[in-house]
Amino acid sequence: MPLDKTINIIVSGVGGQGLITLGNVLGTAAILKGIKAFISEVHGLAQRGGSVIVHIRIGNPNSPLVPENGADVILALEVLEALRAINIYANLNTLIIINKRLIRPAIPELKLLPLEEYISHIKKLGLRVIEVSALDLASKAGNILSENMVMIGALMASGVLNGLLELVDIEKAIREVMPKKWIDVNIRALRMGFEEVVKLRH
Amino acid sequence: MKSKLLLPEGSRVLLLGNEAIARGAIEAGIGVASAYPGTPSTEVLEALAEVAKDIGIYVEWSVNEKVAYEVAYGAAMCGVRALVAMKHVGLNVAADPLMSSGYTGVNGGFVIVSAEDPSMWSSQNEQDNRYYGLHAFIPVFEAYNPGEAKDIIRELFDFSEKVKQPVIFRSTTRLAHCRGPVIYGPMRSPSTKGMFEKDPKRWTLIPAHARLRRIELLKRWEKIKHEVNNWPYNKFIDNDSRYTIVAVGMSYGFVIDALSQLNLNGKVNILKLSSSVPIPVELTRKALEKSDKVLVIEELEPIVEMQVKSLVHDLGLSIKVHGKDLVPQHYELTLRRVIEAIVKFMELKRTIGSTKEVKVKINIPPRPPTFCPGCPHRASFYELKRAVKTIKANVVYSGDIGCYSLAILPPYNMQDILIEMGGSIGVANGISHVSNQVVIATIGDSTFYHTGIPPLINAIYNNAPMLIVVLDNRITAMTGHQPHPGTGIRATGETAPIISVEAIAKSIGVEYVKTLDPYNVKESINTLTDALRYVIERKKPALVVMRRTCALIISSMARRRGIEKPLYRVEVSKCKACKTCYEAFGCPAISPRDDGKAQIDPILCAGCGVCAQVCPFNAIVIEKEPTPEWNRLGF
Repeated sequence: MPLDKTINIIVSGVGGQGLITLGNVLGTAAILKGIKAFISEVHGLAQRGGSVIVHIRIGNPNSPLVPENGADVILALEVLEALRAINIYANLNTLIIINKRLIRPAIPELKLLPLEEYISHIKKLGLRVIEVSALDLASKAGNILSENMVMIGALMASGVLNGLLELVDIEKAIREVMPKKWIDVNIRALRMGFEEVVKLRH
Repeated sequence: MKSKLLLPEGSRVLLLGNEAIARGAIEAGIGVASAYPGTPSTEVLEALAEVAKDIGIYVEWSVNEKVAYEVAYGAAMCGVRALVAMKHVGLNVAADPLMSSGYTGVNGGFVIVSAEDPSMWSSQNEQDNRYYGLHAFIPVFEAYNPGEAKDIIRELFDFSEKVKQPVIFRSTTRLAHCRGPVIYGPMRSPSTKGMFEKDPKRWTLIPAHARLRRIELLKRWEKIKHEVNNWPYNKFIDNDSRYTIVAVGMSYGFVIDALSQLNLNGKVNILKLSSSVPIPVELTRKALEKSDKVLVIEELEPIVEMQVKSLVHDLGLSIKVHGKDLVPQHYELTLRRVIEAIVKFMELKRTIGSTKEVKVKINIPPRPPTFCPGCPHRASFYELKRAVKTIKANVVYSGDIGCYSLAILPPYNMQDILIEMGGSIGVANGISHVSNQVVIATIGDSTFYHTGIPPLINAIYNNAPMLIVVLDNRITAMTGHQPHPGTGIRATGETAPIISVEAIAKSIGVEYVKTLDPYNVKESINTLTDALRYVIERKKPALVVMRRTCALIISSMARRRGIEKPLYRVEVSKCKACKTCYEAFGCPAISPRDDGKAQIDPILCAGCGVCAQVCPFNAIVIEKEPTPEWNRLGF
């Protein structure tokens, strides 16, 4: 299907949270459906517990990076990384989907605010914010490492990708990308994230 | 499950740029691939290693880039198609054979993948290796997305054979680590066997022969300049404009997106260039003759811009050529940078940055990368610091490239110098001859094999007193866990002899060689203290190997096999809030509670138990004992 519009998604979080797998699943879902997508990552040094950003462009992109202030969605797996990504990639129409999780940077004597205070700073910006407790849901689904799939579920429920991808497309991609023994738990996590956000809307 | 790299012709697959490069090489029927890991190049060889046995090709992780280059070059001498991959700075290590290979040329197609890192996401510099192409008379090609990269790599083997010269494929982080759609072509069956045909005038570069080869080289370069005019991935899109944008490699995608955002589709000519060294003179002339003004958009150095300006001069044209005056020379391209350059070039009255910014008005603490929970390097540096404190020595930490480079950060601050692969021991040689400070060279296992051995020989030969600490986590960790000569395994999974660091050191003549487990804190501190005393008193080199398998490998082995990790917890009544565990030791799994006492996050905790040894009050206790299966993990 020819598409003029490109959906720009910034995924931000901490190295080790499965951001690259998240991008791979979304990109694979797009490809399986015949939709063009570019996913840009940074490997190596950037992954050792540091800030990680993955750029996802689905629709009709020609270049690999989400433009500054050009994100349709910021999908943040951690709250400080949400703030960092907002400063570079958000505009007034950007939807913020945020995992309610604060991971302490490994800096001696660092004083942090409580999680809720960081979230309230985001809400004050006047942006649409969806909050998800992805770690809890992942743990209920059966593996805390499937936090990333909970977040994709939340993204799918937000409606941003309506007309491009549906939940079943993501499930197909999970079956394609994941090792067999992790497929079920990841699909469960995906659905839990989806339902959580659908519930919020009602 | 068969690898996605081997799906049939016509398949449309999401591939990482590096995997696309691997598929291109498979379609071209390569017989040999070699590499030393380095971001952003690593996945090229990883992908080829995964399918090597299925398609019967030879793939190896070499000890360093120079050797990797020579392995592929040797195969290409014998007429076998070969690929070598490395990060940009790796080509410095391989520069010697690179220059000579320009003189000899090759028989089998030979593609050098140079993966560069604009913005320095994982590198010490952002050098542009297209200069090497100009320097060595080796043509350089670029692509703008994974799909095109696959096609170009496939064709480059034909090109290389046609002109009998190696070729460089220049990739960058945003190609290497971009996933995009790739449409598969047919696979040529690999030619894995060749024959070296003796021809001393070609292959032995003694001065008398090299003088002849130099003339041949210049003739070959003329042929290459002619051939790139037929390179199908260059194209001139003539939109009948007086303005032409020269879009080199990756910048082509940015230019299309920028023009469509500026509503300039079809209103400006585009010269899309894939062959950046040398540029196709005929095609470029056609573009220049249609233009009054030209903008060259390329990442990093003005390689194409210089060639275009030179051509404008030779043709006697009066055209204004813009490039690095409008496109920044530093860091990677972004859509905004390209839009801003085009706006200035076209003299548009568009206010830049018109999209509404959103700024959070609170301080966001940085999040530098750090040693993982359970990382043996954290323990090693903690112990080394304690040993240095014990003898109150004035020390210099000469660091090296790998995960342990992260000791540069607080609370460690133990990488005073960090230059290049193997530099720790090399630079320590020089410092030891001029300074009374005690030099401690810290070097990883893979880096030791890579370029650590010659400077160690030098230290013995010229007697340079220093403590060499080999941080051996049994793997090339930073690039994502590739095997090396110390691991006992090859790229394609066969077992290999383990080449012992200790045996190398002893055979060279290092008299003080000790091996430690960094998870044994007390013993490690004592031995490191002893080693430092030895260096100071005897004024000779000493070498200590700190060996423990990377904690990420242990945790993934445990996950795969369903083995539960041991767990530690803080006994709150005993904790005195002294901060040793979460500040001086700095494990990210341990954090302060509101009252300053420590708490351990059971999700992050890797179960290494080093914190329990580090705690001065024995306040960290074992919650869940390690199982016998857990204790057997690692290698």
